[in-house]
Amino acid sequence: MRIALLVLLGAMAYGAPPFPDRVKQVIETNARLENGSYQTIAARLALRRDPEWCSRLLLELLREPTGDMFWMFPVTAIAYLDRGQLTPEARTSLRGAWKTYMPYRGDTENHWLLYYSTLYLMAQKYPNEPGESWFTGKTSRENFAEAESYLYHWMNLTVTAGQGEYDCTHYLGVYVLPLSYLAAWAEDPRMRSAAERMLEWIMADFAVETLDGLYVGAHARTDDVQVLEKWNGVSSDLAWILFGTGYPLPGFSYYGFFYCVARAYEPPEVIVRIATDRSAPYTHREMKRTRHRWRFNDVRNGPVYKTTYMTRDYAVGSDQGGILQPIQQHRWDVTWALEDPRGKRNTIFSLHPNSSVHELQTYFTGMPDFLTEAVVRSKKSYDSPDKFLGGSPYEEVMQDRDTLIALYNIPEGARFPHINGFFPEDLDRFEEHASGWIFAQGGRAYIAYRPLAPYTWAVVAGGGRRLVSPHLRNGTILQVAAVSEFASFEEFKAKVAALPLEVRMAPVPSVHFRSLRGAALSFTFGQARDFRAWKPFDSPFMESERGSRRLTLRHGALRRVVDLSDLPGR
Amino acid sequence: MRPAVSQMIPAMRVRRVRHGECHRFGWGCVGWHLVLLLTAGALGLAGQNARLFVSGASSKGYVVGAKLPPSGVFELVGGEWLQRGFTHPAIASIDYDRGDPNVLYLAGGNGCIRATEGGRKWRITTSWDMTELLDVAVDPHHAGTVFIALPDGIARTADGGRTWRRVEAGLARKFTKTIRVDRARAGHLLAGTESGLFASVDNGGTWRRTGDGGVTMITHLAQSPHDELVWLAGTQGDGVVRSDDGGRTWRRLGALPLGETYYQVAFDPGAKGRVAVCGWKGGVRVSEDGGGTFAERSAGLPSKQVWSVAFEPGRPGRLLAGVHEEAVYASDDAGVHWTQFGLPGWIVTSFAFVPEERR
Repeated sequence: MRIALLVLLGAMAYGAPPFPDRVKQVIETNARLENGSYQTIAARLALRRDPEWCSRLLLELLREPTGDMFWMFPVTAIAYLDRGQLTPEARTSLRGAWKTYMPYRGDTENHWLLYYSTLYLMAQKYPNEPGESWFTGKTSRENFAEAESYLYHWMNLTVTAGQGEYDCTHYLGVYVLPLSYLAAWAEDPRMRSAAERMLEWIMADFAVETLDGLYVGAHARTDDVQVLEKWNGVSSDLAWILFGTGYPLPGFSYYGFFYCVARAYEPPEVIVRIATDRSAPYTHREMKRTRHRWRFNDVRNGPVYKTTYMTRDYAVGSDQGGILQPIQQHRWDVTWALEDPRGKRNTIFSLHPNSSVHELQTYFTGMPDFLTEAVVRSKKSYDSPDKFLGGSPYEEVMQDRDTLIALYNIPEGARFPHINGFFPEDLDRFEEHASGWIFAQGGRAYIAYRPLAPYTWAVVAGGGRRLVSPHLRNGTILQVAAVSEFASFEEFKAKVAALPLEVRMAPVPSVHFRSLRGAALSFTFGQARDFRAWKPFDSPFMESERGSRRLTLRHGALRRVVDLSDLPGR
Repeated sequence: MRPAVSQMIPAMRVRRVRHGECHRFGWGCVGWHLVLLLTAGALGLAGQNARLFVSGASSKGYVVGAKLPPSGVFELVGGEWLQRGFTHPAIASIDYDRGDPNVLYLAGGNGCIRATEGGRKWRITTSWDMTELLDVAVDPHHAGTVFIALPDGIARTADGGRTWRRVEAGLARKFTKTIRVDRARAGHLLAGTESGLFASVDNGGTWRRTGDGGVTMITHLAQSPHDELVWLAGTQGDGVVRSDDGGRTWRRLGALPLGETYYQVAFDPGAKGRVAVCGWKGGVRVSEDGGGTFAERSAGLPSKQVWSVAFEPGRPGRLLAGVHEEAVYASDDAGVHWTQFGLPGWIVTSFAFVPEERR
């Protein structure tokens, strides 16, 4: 009772109603939409409203199915929320579309989870039907078996090597919603249970790297907006829905809605506490994997090592370096807490804006001449020298708590021979110090940023400035501290400026730095690094041993083991 | 006598097909379609004993999840391009069952599709462990045997797609872009990978590198219809290479520049010595001496960005080219003159000539 009250109070500290009410609010909001969409149909069916309207609209929408797996999931929700409300004609049309329209399976992890979770559920709903009745040409039984096989394969891979599309600010939604579907609608109790446990796994992974609902640290994928405006994305919506933290998106997100309208699995108390308790700083480490590397590598999925240092005032997060994902990778930053982060750019970081056919041919199967243009058609910033998104093979990072060293060794002939740094306009203080450090304050965080090569400034559209340093051997040192640790900003500046720092740029960038925390850090680009002791998850709040398929969650006296060691298909 | 292309006046009439006429488009027809009609003089442009199929997509504006115009597999019938099967964004190539040419095998992004009834009825034969197929090759020696080139290796079925197994022992890095079965020697295959050319003499059981290792990413393979020992391979950056000993050794065709990607290579079944290659820098190039010299044959094409070339069997000099997001173009004089031949806005990934009659 006392713990439940603490959880409730934690959520209410953010002004959020209890979880069931949050879910209800999301569904009600979507039911009131007049945008003639599948989500509105699903919302009204969930609330058992306007079934005739739902049927008419559904018939209209199903005349031209489009959207591949992004069509499959809303239609599957409608199929299960039907519960006798749709007209026979609408129901028949929905079923018929799975015969006459071939949704593409896609080429990313999120595509496949959507595709196979919905194929599983639709084959379950319409068992014993012949191949002629499905777009796959396979029988219901064959579709079901294939989907089930893939789902368990994905679960096993995720709990051993980690997700390939890990910690995505947007696609997080695409992982929780299919699991919510399976948890709600799978008839096989083994699959339902597995889906619930996978939800806990992913929720815990998410919770530990949120700061007041903001998803911090390194991401496999984010986007041009949320990489700067840390609140503005699906992850914030989900943090509010799941944990009651931060602020949801206006009108709520599409993915968040479909999560709610299915199982709407409530996170266990321990996960909510992990998401909300920032009373003591902690370092969280985890292992993930790269996206499938089709070319230029001997191993399909390489390892990803992430570090996130979390305090109540700010977070510093990073991965080890290299290109781990194509196009939309985000490697490192400091993000600070704000009372209301909506519309604010509350982050600082640097990167090498990489654009190369080699990167694209590593992760995609296309041929060279059209690849970059094909990407730019949907990811417009990819080939831009000004971009703030993407990984680089020429960047490596070392992090120790709230100290970070990023080194760049860019070869001659690289498409963009410079690095970019981002500084928002929403800073309380900003000063280019004679020592060579740039000092800033964001929220309750003091930030010291040391460029290791000369630079100039450019204006960033929408607010902020871009540090541009056109030097192939380059680097950034970041040192962050809480305002509360110092008597004044002057004291912080003086202490940082006095820290021993030795930098060499030849033959490759190399730094020796004694951090504000007293750690003697030495980092050279290309140095061998030993990650053998790393675990899938490792922090005061959670731990998982390699290969165990178990995740132990803890907070105070609370313990919970998310055990997926019994998954079929190992 | 079939009129030459230069005598035709193709009428580029565009007729909207009403919903009720969707039966002409086979499986998966919905809504409006644009159909390019040629004049009566252009009827029967496909070779007398071969049906022409094309794979590709109307790609402008498409990303996964977006609306896709009719794409996938089209067949030229009576001067009209008719869709076969579903709208599909990623069919890399087509081959046909040598025992029943009404059965096609499609290398699809979502698996190997067995398309019966002349390509109208589809079944995805592979499972989730095989994806983004890059090529398909039907074994003419063993009924029911088909090979697929995968971004992570090679697989084979011996029962028409009911079951599959990986056959990639010996490959270095496994990205495999193209695969061919030697039409003359049972059990002999060639595969083009990111690590060069590989050969098998035991029906795919084992592979060994062939050639001098001087080439890396292979893009396309073709076997001469005149001399079974002669092969051509396109590459990314290393030119085009030719073998005269069944794939054991290879030499670079010196007349072609390095540093560009040659996406496809083709022999003219009607003219020994004539070959065509295509890419994005030089467009279409044609040789009359087996690759010793080449002439650029892109004048008359809207651009030099060409993905695919093929010669039509039974019509010497009849050359087809897929120009990037423009259309299919056809020439009756090996590329000297070109005429637009339909499928506007397409990326054509392959041409396939399939016999009319069951053998």
